[in-house]
Amino acid sequence: MRHRSSVEAHHFEALGTSCSLFGLGVTRSQLLQGEFWVRELRARITRFSDRSELALLNGAEGAWVDVSAEMEALLWEALRAYELSAGLVNAAVLPSMLAIGYTRSLAAGASTAKLEDARPAPRLPDVLSVQRGRARLELGCGVDLGGIAKGWMADRLAARLGSNALANLGGDLRANGPGPNGDGWPVGFAGVTVMLRDQGAATSSVRRRRWGDLHHLIDPRTGLPSQTGLEEVSVVAATGCDAEVVAKTALLLGPGLATAYCAAHAQAWWLS
Amino acid sequence: MRPFLLKLGATALTLGATLASVLYVTAHLKNPSAPLQPIVLASHQGGSVGGVTITPGVRKGDVQPVTSTYAS
Repeated sequence: MRHRSSVEAHHFEALGTSCSLFGLGVTRSQLLQGEFWVRELRARITRFSDRSELALLNGAEGAWVDVSAEMEALLWEALRAYELSAGLVNAAVLPSMLAIGYTRSLAAGASTAKLEDARPAPRLPDVLSVQRGRARLELGCGVDLGGIAKGWMADRLAARLGSNALANLGGDLRANGPGPNGDGWPVGFAGVTVMLRDQGAATSSVRRRRWGDLHHLIDPRTGLPSQTGLEEVSVVAATGCDAEVVAKTALLLGPGLATAYCAAHAQAWWLS
Repeated sequence: MRPFLLKLGATALTLGATLASVLYVTAHLKNPSAPLQPIVLASHQGGSVGGVTITPGVRKGDVQPVTSTYAS
């Protein structure tokens, strides 16, 4: 049976990008609480603040540090992303991020690059240990969760908003439930509309967050910005986080292998 | 006599199972509805729209999207 009711929507700027929340049967207050949840979690996982949970972990010099349940879950997700991507989505690229000058929010501008300091990333499972309520990084290593955080947060935020909701955090999104007309949430995907129901979508690109010849997407095999011949990949997958990981992996694989990888891991894809 | 019959039965059962497996696999070769069929084969039937590959797990729509995925 098809049903129609009005969609409650809320738009805001966070995570350095535009975010949108949609829901049926949700209140304005719930959407605002969703925005607050994003801002509160962002403050804990950003690497641009010395007081964030992530900064404390990165600066612990090899010691175990206590982490919140959300941080613990994100770190486990980073390890899962590493496995799903055969090592291409590797959160341990922080030293390279710093070497290319991505030391602060790009709104403040990149700092001077020291490409000679960039180096291939270590295997994430070798340098990151996670236990219940605590985590540890090997001395000299650092992690950046920007590669998976938006998709992971979109998955959780959509679930928090109820059984018929959509959370879009900077293009990484998760749609739950039958949508406004019972046939899924209509989502723009590389120029066409797809109806998503309990699915996620994401886009990985080197066309944004770039300065000069450099951009933010590090290839962990070289420690330098990716140059594979692909500039943008959009993917639909089972979850927002999976879509984000698959899109990034395909982009890093390049045009020769991306199609085969997407065929095995995605439900829809677009390569450019 | 009885051990011989048991061996004969086991051999017949094994050969029968092997033959049935061969027949099943042969009958389902390159059949899109067969189990464990790679999704990429189905995607060719689903078609490519404007460079977008869409498998049967995703429905195309003709309504205005409420939002979209994009690079950020």
